[in-house]
Amino acid sequence: MKLSDQFRFVRQNMKKNRTRVYMTILATAMGCAFLIVLASVGFGLQKSVVKEMTERRIMTQIDVYGQETTESGGYRQLDDKDVQEFEEMSDVKAVTRRKMLQQEGFYLIGNYQQSTQTVVANFPSEIKAGFELSAGSLAKDKAEVVVGYNFPLNLGVKGEQTEEMFDEQGQLKEKFRYNGKLIGETIELTVSKMEDGKKIEKVFPVKVAGISKKPTKEWAEDRSVYISEELLKDIEAFTGTPKGIVLDSTDQVNLADLEASKNTFDDVKVYAKNMEAVQGIVDELKENDYATYSVVNELKEVNLMFAIAKAGLIFIGTIAILIASIGIYNTMTMAVTERAPDIGIMKAIGANPRTIKRIFLLESSYIGLIGAFIGTVVSYGISYAVNFVIPIIIKQAFGEETPPEIVFSDIPLSLPIICIVICYGVTILSGLRPAQRATKVDVLRAMRREV
Amino acid sequence: MITIKHLSHEFVVGKKGKQTFIPVLKDISFEVKEGEIVTIVGRSGSGKSTLLNLVSGFIHPKEGEIWINGQKVSQMNETKFADFRIKNLGFIFQSFQLIPSMTAFQNVELPLILKGVSETVRKKQTEEMLAKVGLLDYQDHYPGELSGGQQQRVSIARALIVNPPIILADEPTGSLDSETEEDLLKFIKELNTDLGITFLIITHDEKVANIGHRTIELKDGRIIEGVLA
Repeated sequence: MKLSDQFRFVRQNMKKNRTRVYMTILATAMGCAFLIVLASVGFGLQKSVVKEMTERRIMTQIDVYGQETTESGGYRQLDDKDVQEFEEMSDVKAVTRRKMLQQEGFYLIGNYQQSTQTVVANFPSEIKAGFELSAGSLAKDKAEVVVGYNFPLNLGVKGEQTEEMFDEQGQLKEKFRYNGKLIGETIELTVSKMEDGKKIEKVFPVKVAGISKKPTKEWAEDRSVYISEELLKDIEAFTGTPKGIVLDSTDQVNLADLEASKNTFDDVKVYAKNMEAVQGIVDELKENDYATYSVVNELKEVNLMFAIAKAGLIFIGTIAILIASIGIYNTMTMAVTERAPDIGIMKAIGANPRTIKRIFLLESSYIGLIGAFIGTVVSYGISYAVNFVIPIIIKQAFGEETPPEIVFSDIPLSLPIICIVICYGVTILSGLRPAQRATKVDVLRAMRREV
Repeated sequence: MITIKHLSHEFVVGKKGKQTFIPVLKDISFEVKEGEIVTIVGRSGSGKSTLLNLVSGFIHPKEGEIWINGQKVSQMNETKFADFRIKNLGFIFQSFQLIPSMTAFQNVELPLILKGVSETVRKKQTEEMLAKVGLLDYQDHYPGELSGGQQQRVSIARALIVNPPIILADEPTGSLDSETEEDLLKFIKELNTDLGITFLIITHDEKVANIGHRTIELKDGRIIEGVLA
């Protein structure tokens, strides 16, 4: 018997008991919609959390904080030797290392001033890692600097800053902000030190050679000033301390520690060639006792947690499909009982028991798949409605805006596929016994209408 | 064509442990040759229907062998017998055994569907067969809308549609009036003469028994007359 004829048979049989079949399809559709919508909450929350995490971090970035020392159990800061080791590792694209001036740099340009972070960066590695300029060029000598894209934002008029100078977001109002050009301008960096309880300041005039590119993340700001290693050495020579740290008295700190930190980096980041390589690099770093952090690691843990949660939700949803399967079992059993005389006649004239079984399995699959399809379509509608309505409800009830990145329900393609597979499996199982019963219909009893 | 060798059968009655065995057929042997019409007669309970059910493969014999068209069918499993049945056997039943929810056309077409014949060929053959039994105009009628004679003709058309070499008939005129009975017997004769179809007919009707080349009489599960041709 051809498959197309089997389908025709199934359709004919289903038409005979339309109401019963429709109700069974409805129950299956409800079960599927319940499963999808329930699990979609897990998928939605995962999407929100992952989006939040990945937006704040670069996926291929690995922060290396230090190396565990066997003697004291503490961590030592990283130096050139470590950086070189990282650069030699396979799948490493770049290793950026930064030293921070250990006092807030005070910058003055004309009548405008601001205090901001001063960074000593290794530009070749920064560029390899993706650092770009929006204007100008990199610093060529110690008298040149690169400023962050958002550097002018807090470059306000000299003197004490009052509340009225700032807007609602805490940003310096434009009329109080420096609006002139920066490239080629000289700014004065004032560094201080303490000597015999007195604050002594020194001005280092530097020229702005370039401005960094606007950060890709909307919320990110780069107000730093990037100075050269040579300039840092001049500052260290003035303060007499590593990285320009301001000390009231040298007795307060361990001199050996102070000396050890001289050539160490405050911020080391390893960039992998691609996301797949991150885990391998992290594992290798961990083997060598380096303390690391990567968003991929965190994502792995978050994804594992959500995978467990989603599996739980899908399991609960499957119970609804199992309940619907009782309906399919009932419908199919009644169909076999009602059609037993017809089955008997078909067997008598030469129908293969396998064909009869296949027809009944097809029928239960038909019910299951139509139900799953309807359930999927409905669940997409419910999911859309949930994402649309819940923020409104939250706003009405609590007066709070829902962050736009929060997704309450998300249906990835895999979810309907999982649902259809579960539904199909359950349908086949519930249709199997009635189908087997159909093959065992006794021809003689069926023809005597005794079944 | 059909060879029965030392066929015995018994029915089991009662629950497990308290079963009673009722012998129905006792050491039956006979042969039906190609192109023959053989009728089996006997009183009610003589075992003639059981014999036909054994030959049809609806039940399995306790002892003995059944050979049809050179194949031993008595030990065939259900699946194999189903394939064998659709190629070699046609059935005419006393109560017609048409599927009530199918039209005359669909009932006749059914064996071709089970055989996997394409729709175009099926349509042509079914219409030809319905024309042959004089029911082409009734092709869209459901069995409930046809007379007994018409239903039996649909049943015959369904049996003939796959061109079986053998037709097994169980009281084919049992539900028909005498006029329709005459027509049907004439038709069976024609089929035998024109197409060479072999018939094994179970009947208690003398008229039907007389159309056979040979009649075998059963009594208490044994053949008492007509084994030899």
